[in-house]
Amino acid sequence: MSSPVKRLTMEELDRLCRARQAAGAAMAAYEGPLARHVEDGDRRLLRLQYDDSPAALRLWNFLLTEEDRLHEARAAGRKIVGTMKDLGTVPVMAYSLPNLVAFYPDGAWWTPCVMELGEGLFALAQSLGLGEAMCPVRAMAGAFVNRAHFPIPDMLTCSVGATCDDFSAVAQRLESLGYPVLWWEMPSRRPPDPGEPAVTLPGGFRAPESQVALVRSELERIRAALANLAGLPLGDAELAAGIREANRVRAILRRLRHMAYTAEPCPMPALEMLIAEMLAIHFCSDRAESVGVLAELLDEVRRRANEKTGVLAAGAARVFWVNPVADLRAMNLLEDCGGRLCGTEFLFCHAIDAIPEDLPPMEALARTALADPMAGPSADRAARIVRDARAFGAEAVAISRIPGASHCATEGAVIGQIVRDQLDLPVVELEVPPVADPLWPTLKTRLEALVETVLERRKR
Amino acid sequence: MISAGIDGGSRAIKVVLVDCATCKVLASGVRDQGVHHDRLARELLADVMKKARLTRRKIVRTVATGYTRNSITFADTTVTEITCHAAGVRYAVPDAATIIEIGGQDSKLLRLGPDGTVHDFAMNDRCAAGTGRFLEVVASRLGVGFEDLGNLARRAKSPAPISSMCVVFAETEIIGLLACDAKPADIVAGVQNSIASRVAAMIGRGARPPVIFTGGVALIPGMADALRRALKVPVRIAPRPQMTGALGAALLACRQCETAARPAR
Repeated sequence: MSSPVKRLTMEELDRLCRARQAAGAAMAAYEGPLARHVEDGDRRLLRLQYDDSPAALRLWNFLLTEEDRLHEARAAGRKIVGTMKDLGTVPVMAYSLPNLVAFYPDGAWWTPCVMELGEGLFALAQSLGLGEAMCPVRAMAGAFVNRAHFPIPDMLTCSVGATCDDFSAVAQRLESLGYPVLWWEMPSRRPPDPGEPAVTLPGGFRAPESQVALVRSELERIRAALANLAGLPLGDAELAAGIREANRVRAILRRLRHMAYTAEPCPMPALEMLIAEMLAIHFCSDRAESVGVLAELLDEVRRRANEKTGVLAAGAARVFWVNPVADLRAMNLLEDCGGRLCGTEFLFCHAIDAIPEDLPPMEALARTALADPMAGPSADRAARIVRDARAFGAEAVAISRIPGASHCATEGAVIGQIVRDQLDLPVVELEVPPVADPLWPTLKTRLEALVETVLERRKR
Repeated sequence: MISAGIDGGSRAIKVVLVDCATCKVLASGVRDQGVHHDRLARELLADVMKKARLTRRKIVRTVATGYTRNSITFADTTVTEITCHAAGVRYAVPDAATIIEIGGQDSKLLRLGPDGTVHDFAMNDRCAAGTGRFLEVVASRLGVGFEDLGNLARRAKSPAPISSMCVVFAETEIIGLLACDAKPADIVAGVQNSIASRVAAMIGRGARPPVIFTGGVALIPGMADALRRALKVPVRIAPRPQMTGALGAALLACRQCETAARPAR
C-alpha cells in the first residue's frame, strides 16, 4: 500500500514538533521548532518541504545546530580543527582524540544558500578579491572575517594538489589573512603502470603503492600536528578505534542509502537524504550523536519500507543525482516533477565506503583519502557513477552544477557522455545557483522532461 | 472528438486542433506572445475555433506546452516541449531520429527511440546565443525585419565570422563589423553559422539521421543550411515547423483521451 505525498511545510513540521514537546516525547536537547533558525537568518527553511517524521526533524535540528556545538566545544576547552577540502579523512583522525572536534569550514558555502544570500558572506569574499567567478566555498573566507558563524579553529588543515584551483586560491587567501594552514598534498590519482606495484582502494579504484605511500607520509604530518594540538598521543590504537567509530556512521549510511534508494515507494524524500549523506564527511561536529541521528532515520526508513508506505506515490522516475545543490528546493522539485532519488554522488561517495580495518590505520586512511573520486580524472568519477547508477537501478541521471564550482570545466559533459555510452540512460545537466528563482522554469522543464522521457521509455 | 494543443512559447502562441478519430489537423493559428499568457491563449483558441466553425464543447481535451504552459489555466494538463515536439515531428516525419528545435528562447536536441518517443535530450536555455533571440537582436541592430533575415542571408558572399559566445558581446562585435563596412547579408549569414555551431556543440558526437529541424527559427531561410554545414549531415525542415509543439500537444491530448477511454483490465 502506498500513501500520497505527505511532505510538510516548515510551519506544519513545527506544529508537529510542538505537539511532541507538549506530549513529553523524548527529544534531544538541540531539537525544537525550525522557526528559530529562520529567526537566525536561515530563510530558505521557509520555502522547503520536509519529511514529517520525528527522525527527520531531529536530523534537521542536528544539522542546523552545528555552530552551537562548536561554540560549546570551545567553551568546554576542546580544541577545534578546521579540516579543509579532504572530505572525510582528517576528521576521522581528529575524532580519534577525545579533546578534539573537527569541522569543515568549507561547509560555509552552504550558509549563503540557507540564508538566501542575505548575510553577505559572498560580498565579504568579494571584498577579499574572491568574486563570483570562483567556487562558492569562498563564503568560508567571509565567515572567517565576520566571525559570526563557526569559532575560529585552533588549527587549519587543507589538502592541495589534486584539488580544484579555486579551492586552493580561497584557502591561500585565508592564510594571507593570518590564519596559518597546515597544507598536505593529495596527488592526482593515476592508474598504475604495467608491472607497477599497486593496491585496490576502497570503492574499487586502483592506484600505485607509491601514491598511497605519499599520502600516508602526508597524513603522518597531520597525525603529529593533531597529537601536538591535543597534547595527547595519537597512536595506531587510537586511530583504529576512531576508524571503527567512523565506520559505524558509514555503515548506517550505506544501509540507509540502500533501503531509501531501492524501496518502493520511496520511503524518504531526496532533501533529507542529501542532509543525511553529508554527515558522512563531518559528523556535524558530534560523531556519537550522528550515529544516533542516522540510526533513527534508518529505523524510520526500514519501518516505511516494510509497510510499503512512503512520501511519494509508487512508480516515480528513478533518478541518480550527481553533486549537491546550492538551492535545496531543487531536491523538492525533483519529486514535484514526478522523480525520486535512487542513488547519489554528492562529491564524497568515498566517505561512505568502509575504511579498511584489517590494515595498519595510516595505510587504511591513506587509501581512503586517495579513493576520493575528485582526486582523479573525471572519467574515474564517471566510472563510479555508472557502477552505482546501475546497481541502484537508475532510469536517468541528473548532473547539477553550482555556478563557479567547476571541479573540472568539462566534468558534467564527460560524466554525461560516459553514462549515455555505458548505461544508455537519459542525462540532464542542471545549473542550480544559491537562489534559483530566475531559473525555476528552466529547472522545472528539464526535470519534467526527464521524468516524461523515463516514463515513455518504460512503455517500450 | 477534438483535442487542442497550445504551445505557449516565449515569442509566439500556437494552437492546433486535431480530430482524434482521424488524427487530422482541423485548424491552427499563431499570434505573438504577450504578458497575459492565459488570456492571449484563450483568445487565440477562440479565434481558431471560430474560423473553423467549431464550438468549444467539441474539444474534449486540451494540453498546454511551452514556456508559459503552467499559466494556461484552461488546459487539462501540461506536457513539456521536449515530449510535444517529438510527437509533433514524428507525426509529420515518421522516420525522424534526431530533432533540432530552435525557438525564441532556447534550443533543444532530441534523440528519438525506434518507437518515436524521446530517448534522450539536451537543452540550451541559459544563453541567448544559439536561439532565435540572437537573430532578433541582429535584425534590430541591422534595422531589418525579422522575416527578412533569411532573404538577406541568401545574398551573403562571405559570411562574417562571429566569434563572441554571448549575444550581448556579439552585438558589439556586429557594430564593429558594420563600422568596417561588412555587408549586412554577410553578418546575418555569420550569425546563422554562429547559432548552428552552438547547436552542433550541444549535440556533441554525431546526430543520427534523419535530422529534422523544427521551431520558429526553422522558418528562416538559410538556417537549415547553416546547421547542415555545422553538423555535416543532411538536415530537413519539419512541415510547418513553428507548429510542431502545438501539434504534438494536440496529438498527446488525443492519446490521453484514448487511454482514459480504454476499459481497465
